[in-house]
Amino acid sequence: MGISASDERLVDVAYIVEPNPPKNVTLEIQQPEDGKPYLWIKWVPPTLADTASGWLLLQYEVRLKHEKAVEWEIYFAGQQTNFKVLSFYPGYKYLVHVRCKPDHGLWSKWSEEHSIEIPSDLNMNDETTWIFVAILSAVICLVMVWAVAFKGYRMMTCILPPVPGPKIKGFDTRLLETGKTEEFLTAFGCQGFPPTSDCEDLLVEFLEVNDSEDQQLMPSFSKKYPGQGVKFRHPDRDNDSGHGSCDSPSLLSEKCGGPWANPRTFHIPKVIEKLENLEANITCTWDPLNISTEGKIFNFHTNGSRSSTWPLPQPSQHKPRSPYHSTAEVCKLPMGPKAALATVLDKSVKDALKFSKSIEIGGEEKAVKKMEVESFPAKTEQDTAWLLPQEKTPFIPEKTLDYVEIHKVNKDGALSLTPKQKNSIDQTEKPQASEISKEYVKVVRVTDNNILVLVPDPRAQNKEAPRSLQQNQAEKDTSCFTATPSNCRLHLGGSDYLDPASLTHSFHGQFE
Amino acid sequence: MDGKRQGSLLLLLLMSNLLLCKNVASQPMCPSGSSCRVSLRDLFERAIILSHYIHSLSSELSQEFDAQYSQGPEFFTQAMSMCHTASLSTPAGKEQAHQIHQKDFVILVIHLLRSWTEPLSHLIIEANHLPKAPDTLIAKAMEIQEQNQRLLEGVKKISKLVDPEIIDNGDYSVWLGLPSLQSNDLESRLFAYHNEFRCLRRDTHKVDNYLKFLKCQIAYDGSC
Repeated sequence: MGISASDERLVDVAYIVEPNPPKNVTLEIQQPEDGKPYLWIKWVPPTLADTASGWLLLQYEVRLKHEKAVEWEIYFAGQQTNFKVLSFYPGYKYLVHVRCKPDHGLWSKWSEEHSIEIPSDLNMNDETTWIFVAILSAVICLVMVWAVAFKGYRMMTCILPPVPGPKIKGFDTRLLETGKTEEFLTAFGCQGFPPTSDCEDLLVEFLEVNDSEDQQLMPSFSKKYPGQGVKFRHPDRDNDSGHGSCDSPSLLSEKCGGPWANPRTFHIPKVIEKLENLEANITCTWDPLNISTEGKIFNFHTNGSRSSTWPLPQPSQHKPRSPYHSTAEVCKLPMGPKAALATVLDKSVKDALKFSKSIEIGGEEKAVKKMEVESFPAKTEQDTAWLLPQEKTPFIPEKTLDYVEIHKVNKDGALSLTPKQKNSIDQTEKPQASEISKEYVKVVRVTDNNILVLVPDPRAQNKEAPRSLQQNQAEKDTSCFTATPSNCRLHLGGSDYLDPASLTHSFHGQFE
Repeated sequence: MDGKRQGSLLLLLLMSNLLLCKNVASQPMCPSGSSCRVSLRDLFERAIILSHYIHSLSSELSQEFDAQYSQGPEFFTQAMSMCHTASLSTPAGKEQAHQIHQKDFVILVIHLLRSWTEPLSHLIIEANHLPKAPDTLIAKAMEIQEQNQRLLEGVKKISKLVDPEIIDNGDYSVWLGLPSLQSNDLESRLFAYHNEFRCLRRDTHKVDNYLKFLKCQIAYDGSC
């Protein structure tokens, strides 16, 4: 017979105790005033477990999840009979289980399932947290703004360098300082600045100044020059420039100096500043005040240093048209319909565009500020340059030209011209030069062909003036200023120191 | 007349004693005041931590030994024999535990703890001769030995607080299992080790259980 008893098994009671699950599980939502709301789970030990006497020590475990979750979250609660859940999602229904075990025993089964619905409008946010976040973000924003402003300024200065003031090249500011603006304006017969509207149309047409390519004779004194045919190119000329040496009334007033009273100066500070940067000397000075009227004679005034009136070769590439465009007009204005130099200048400015690149007498291409008084007995090269800009090389050596130096412009607006001694190539001029060294030329009128008619100053000692005047009257009278962009020249017509033929040719060539 | 007065005086004295004296069982163990009570709770907490730890180690030691040296299912079933501390009368349940005086209960705990000082040292020495590198077993045995000493000293202090006039006779159960550990028969040796580890596990469990009970009874006035 076999044994019907199994083998012995050793069982130690102490290690096989499995308590009942906890009871009376309750769930509550607690919302303390000074804190976040939490889920409070409470229970009691199973009935038979005597934990009060300490004979049985139970440890609890809680697990919960919301309905849609997959995994349970299990939390060890120790020996306490309650548990607080701080992180949960409002609006969900949560399920909770509790179980216990003796300190050295086995875990009980999970208690019954208890559920609780979390209200959706539960405010889970903490005010202090939001305040902290707000302060932190404000600080970060301030730091960023400061960084951008600080770095941005540097970046801006690197990317967009500060706009330099306008510079007028080729214009001797000293001429303006000593210039007699009043005389200049009176020579043109202008009533005074600011020029009135009637002068505009006339002024534009008559004065022709050889100007460098993009240089303008005069800056715009006022905004009311609608009729000026010139196309202001203000936007183009912001940086740099030195335009309108001659044109700039303020330039003239300042640089011409003493005799040029300029009570109503057009304030063109930039132009004035740039005058000092001019390479060429100012050949003429304008009285800005008087330029507004017509019939003013352009008084040309050479600076004290007797620098050449002819612009020096300037390979500068400025296109100082816009700011000084008005200067040309201002120059024209005082002259009015009668060969106002300014008008010629202004027109010349307009024409200068066409001729600027081609005609660069004396090597000036864009020295608007410079005004050249070109002697008509100037070389054919010069004439050619005038007449046929396209044919001629734009760069004409200065020495090949026969220039007349504008000595000064007296109060009556008479222009005193003297041929340049050293640059004078035409022999015919020499005797004239000696004769006319102190002569003044007065712009009588401006002809239809935009020719400035100059007459010798009757007060001048040169008695040849009338003669030359008559000679030149027929022709075209010098005072034609073809404003080429390269230089600003004042063509004196009808004076005995100008070659009528050349003048005529040049004028015709330019305007036809 | 004098005899009558002496009798009445004695009676009066007895009555006053009866009125003034309280039940021994419910007498607070800290006559000095609240400071004593707080320290008693701390001592009990510390003791319970140690006893809980010691018992956890003993359980692991026993289970690991059985797993490592068992030569078949139920191999160690027949190795069961009486523990050397079996003569010590311990309460069988909660009701009996309530009937034991608290200071006697403390003495009982001290007795149990002291009984294992020598066996543990021998176990550590003899375990080196076990066949399969029992390093972890030996380490655990050494940890148990160290913690046991600390728990013994702690419970002694508790006993002083519980009853300053407690009398510790220094009694302990004598252990006579050394020859079994040094037996030439491996199986006998394994049985001996298994038995020792089983008895250690049970006695540490008793100590832990009694201390947790005594904490609630003494430091928390019967209800934790």
